[in-house]
Amino acid sequence: MKKIFLLLSLLAAAGLSCLSALTPAEIVDKADKAFKVGRVYSISSLTVYRGNEAQPVQVMEGYTMEKNGKSYSLTIYKEPQRMKGTAMLMIENDLWVRFASTGRVRKLSSSAKKNSAGGSDFSYADMGESGQGLAEKYTPVLKGEEKIEGTACYKLELDAKDSDAPYGKLLVYIAKDDYRYLQVDYYEDNANTKTMKLSDYRMVHGINYPFKAVMVSHVKDSRTEIVTTVFEPDSSKIKDRYFTTGYLKSIR
Amino acid sequence: MAGRRFTDRLLESWGKWSIKHWGKALLMVLGITLVMLYGAAHVRTEMTYYSILPAKEKNVKDLKVITENFPMASAVIAVIDGRNIEDQAEAERKVKAVIDELQEKFKKEPYSRYITRTAGRTDTSLFREHGLMLLKSEDIHRFSKIYSDLSFTGLLRNINNDFESVYSGNGDKLSEDEELALSQFSGLEDLLRLMSQAASGKKVTQQQADAVIDKYLFGNPYLLSNDNRMGLFIIEPNFTMNNIDLLAPGVNTLEKGVKETAAEYGVKAGLTGLTTVGRDEMETSEKGLAVSSTTALVLILLLMIFAFRMFSAPLVSGIPLITGIIWTIGWTGFIIHRLNIVTAMYMIVLLGLGIDYAIHLLTAYTQEKEEGAAFNQAVLHALSKSGNGIIIGALTTAAAFFMLSFSKTEMVSELGIVAGFGILSELAAMIMLIPPLLSYRHHRLEKKGKVDHPLFAKVKINAHAVSGLGSFLVKNPLSIALVMTLVIGGFSLFATKVAIEQNIMNMEAKGLESIKLQDEMSDEFGMAPDGLSILSSSIPETKDLDSRLKKLSSVKRVESIAPYVTTEEEAKERTPAIVDFIQQLSIAGMNSSRVNPELLLDEVYRLEDNFLELSDLAWLGNMKKMAGVLSNATGRNLEGEKTTVSVFDTLGGILEAGRTDTGNLGELQKMIQKSLSEKLKEMSSIEPVTVSMVPPAIRDSYVSTDGNTFLVNIVPTKNPWNEEFRDIYKTQVASVTDKATGMILASDVLNTMAREDGVRSSIGAVIVIFLIILLDFKNLKLALFTMIPLAGSFLVLFGVMGIFSIKFDFVNIIAVPLLIGIGIDDAVHINHRYLLEGKGSMDRVIGKTGTALFLTSLTTIIGFASFIPSPMRAMKSTGIVLSLAMAIAFINSVLLHPAVLVLAVEKLKLSINPWRKK
Repeated sequence: MKKIFLLLSLLAAAGLSCLSALTPAEIVDKADKAFKVGRVYSISSLTVYRGNEAQPVQVMEGYTMEKNGKSYSLTIYKEPQRMKGTAMLMIENDLWVRFASTGRVRKLSSSAKKNSAGGSDFSYADMGESGQGLAEKYTPVLKGEEKIEGTACYKLELDAKDSDAPYGKLLVYIAKDDYRYLQVDYYEDNANTKTMKLSDYRMVHGINYPFKAVMVSHVKDSRTEIVTTVFEPDSSKIKDRYFTTGYLKSIR
Repeated sequence: MAGRRFTDRLLESWGKWSIKHWGKALLMVLGITLVMLYGAAHVRTEMTYYSILPAKEKNVKDLKVITENFPMASAVIAVIDGRNIEDQAEAERKVKAVIDELQEKFKKEPYSRYITRTAGRTDTSLFREHGLMLLKSEDIHRFSKIYSDLSFTGLLRNINNDFESVYSGNGDKLSEDEELALSQFSGLEDLLRLMSQAASGKKVTQQQADAVIDKYLFGNPYLLSNDNRMGLFIIEPNFTMNNIDLLAPGVNTLEKGVKETAAEYGVKAGLTGLTTVGRDEMETSEKGLAVSSTTALVLILLLMIFAFRMFSAPLVSGIPLITGIIWTIGWTGFIIHRLNIVTAMYMIVLLGLGIDYAIHLLTAYTQEKEEGAAFNQAVLHALSKSGNGIIIGALTTAAAFFMLSFSKTEMVSELGIVAGFGILSELAAMIMLIPPLLSYRHHRLEKKGKVDHPLFAKVKINAHAVSGLGSFLVKNPLSIALVMTLVIGGFSLFATKVAIEQNIMNMEAKGLESIKLQDEMSDEFGMAPDGLSILSSSIPETKDLDSRLKKLSSVKRVESIAPYVTTEEEAKERTPAIVDFIQQLSIAGMNSSRVNPELLLDEVYRLEDNFLELSDLAWLGNMKKMAGVLSNATGRNLEGEKTTVSVFDTLGGILEAGRTDTGNLGELQKMIQKSLSEKLKEMSSIEPVTVSMVPPAIRDSYVSTDGNTFLVNIVPTKNPWNEEFRDIYKTQVASVTDKATGMILASDVLNTMAREDGVRSSIGAVIVIFLIILLDFKNLKLALFTMIPLAGSFLVLFGVMGIFSIKFDFVNIIAVPLLIGIGIDDAVHINHRYLLEGKGSMDRVIGKTGTALFLTSLTTIIGFASFIPSPMRAMKSTGIVLSLAMAIAFINSVLLHPAVLVLAVEKLKLSINPWRKK
């Protein structure tokens, strides 16, 4: 789904591309490049587990694009029935929701981006932070190498540059062989509060994309699985007009 | 080897005198026992984990301050559970009725004698008078906007504006204000219902209008669960868990009262909270100890009858055994004045240890008799042959225990003192009592003209069975040593896997109602009793901590006095906003009976839209209670399907159809305006809110009895005993303050200190024991050989624990010093006998000592194993670990140690003779 794409674009290191090979910045940059795709259409399902109990599956259609240095995303709920037709539009730091139950569009406060998205363990920021990428907010430092589920990985610490970053620190594990992100540990107030694991990488139009992302919260008895079923990079389904509040209002 | 030592002469003198003057000897012991009984009378039993926390540690000191100085920290919480009633409204009604009745019932005897106050409903008096002053300035401005027009249309329009601006689809904000928002939603639903009645021409009263506004402004006064089927009734007792005399009777009385009332209404009820858990710990520990001590005593005495075929064996060994226990409790009374959960357990361990001395003495005595010795000679020979062995055994064991008394933790050092004196008391009681008791028995038998009981005559404590083992050892020492080394080596591979239990709750009895209710309180009421707390020294510090801690992702809620009082700066900042509000209210509150149904209809439907959207957000955010309330109000189920006619439909239908009784609705509007403006005015005091204005139940929760310290409770998002989460929670709280305390930190300190103390005192004990053995045997090689089975026993014990995931905890960790102290005994006895019998006599040594060693080990294991049936899991695990430890030590002592001795002395020709004999 597009949210995974955006989530990973969080890790983008836009300012790190000119450095020499295998510097920490370059490792992050290489890992991010796979996700820097212009226009993506996706369908994914999101399941939140409270304890071991699965909550109703949320199926979402995602549209994303990057244009003039800005990131745009539109997510439309397909399931469950209660949320069907509810849609969320994000343009950089701005967030709007169209409620299917009332047909009204409401603008959310920008602070809401740090909050849980759809009751999941992903925040709105995790789902689709602005297109600035991590390079703007974090400084990468190579912390060695470690195996994640049998795969040799670079272990990098990404320290927040300032208080604007959603997390104080990230630990990312990037596969040495093909620069895939396999795990991200999120730190808040010096503690690892959640961990995301990315798997089921598949090559689509030259892009090695994770079709499964699992976020495990260490401060709540919950985890969230996002499984992408359709991923179309450079998709013709993406139209500029989708990313307007006018279109949002018209969604049925 | 020993020659005529002091102990030999002492034992011989006492033996001769006490056999001859058995009456005087018994009287002498009785005199000592009476003195010790006086000491025992001064012992108090403190059977809670709380009582063994290391009192000198900063966070334990703070924890004790909280327990002693913040009365609500000791609250007994009654959980009224109406979930057995299917109809939700009926369950809620009954739960509330039970709470109301308890409120009255507990004002009377026999309950009132244990109670300072009770709280069944939230005391809203503070908010009724100072509600606005307790709001942030931005919220006072919100209030101003909402209540700038008190007509129905104006009020609903402003409420709608507020919903659409404040929450802004922010699910976390909703969660933060959930209770407040819920009462507002329910109050609004009730208001719309009242409006429907009025609009359809039905008369409504001012009282009904007042009730609706009360609910809207101040919420539900009862402390109810997510689905309103459970309720809490808080009892502030006039005792804490440190008042051991009041703890059980007090909590039991309250529990009986709560359960009886609940049963009358057909619902269930139970108690929880720190004080109740303390009562349960005490009762289950005492129950466990009673079961264990009875089991141990009966089994040991039965074993004595069976082993010695002597019906008087229970008396001959049991009287000194019990006497030794009395003396130990007496010493405890004189020196440390209390028995804690660990030292009380040790009293049962002592049954298994003390009886060993009787077994050694009686075995030697029966063997002498069997070989034809006269009574006096048999007793004296038994004393001389076994006496030194048991004295050295007892001294090594006592030395190991006394080393513990230098520990930092009171729990461990008290164990060291009690255990050390316990061993010495049992040794003294056995040596002082067994000869005169045997003499008395002999005297009685002679008087009756009997030589011995027929069964006793058939006594077969002989060497045949075990000497076979001895012969096997002599023939195959290398094979046995190799096999044993391989076994030890194999187990040692798993030794590093032994873990430490971090969760005290896993050490409690299984199925305790108070513990189960703690979990339910966490799920249903969002309360987590074992969170961290902070003692703050000022209101500004409390407010600062409150606001910073709230932001941590591992923190669900922060409870403190902060929301109930204002600082001078806050009061200064808020006063102008409140003054403006009052002025505006005087205009807005003007009574008007004009209602425009069309405009009102727009706002009613707009409110419905807001309810629907908020309901969607709540559903997505898994806020089931709020999603339920909002969905229900809009006539929908949790799946968002329209299932019933809602109050919006009813009111909307009336307004839309043009059937509105505008006159009647206008009258209601006037009543609502009157009620609302009066209550809002009452809430608008500009007086700064000080601690003295706070209702007692809230004050007792967060302000110390002397008024100088303020408690901040940090409610975690998960059970803080969960190890992974505990680290996150502690780390995040530590990023704000280093002043946190709580049971999880105190138990961590206890675990760390018990572990450090355990290692330190174990090293000390090993050194002291080694020196005693060295001094006793006066041979370095023999002293080293004696330590080998002990080291092997530790490796095997840790290996077994690692394989079966048996954890050490701060109670069963006593296995380490006990194993050092007791595990060495069997090897010491074998050494003594081997030196006595000489080279080439290992088969005879095993034959002579094997039975006694087996019996003593068996009784020790019985003593320990008697903890296994205990309901208290800490006792159960202690029983398992110690039984295992003793069984392993026995096997190593009778297999590995003799094999090593035979190899060293008889194959390698090493000398184990004392230095002076070289």
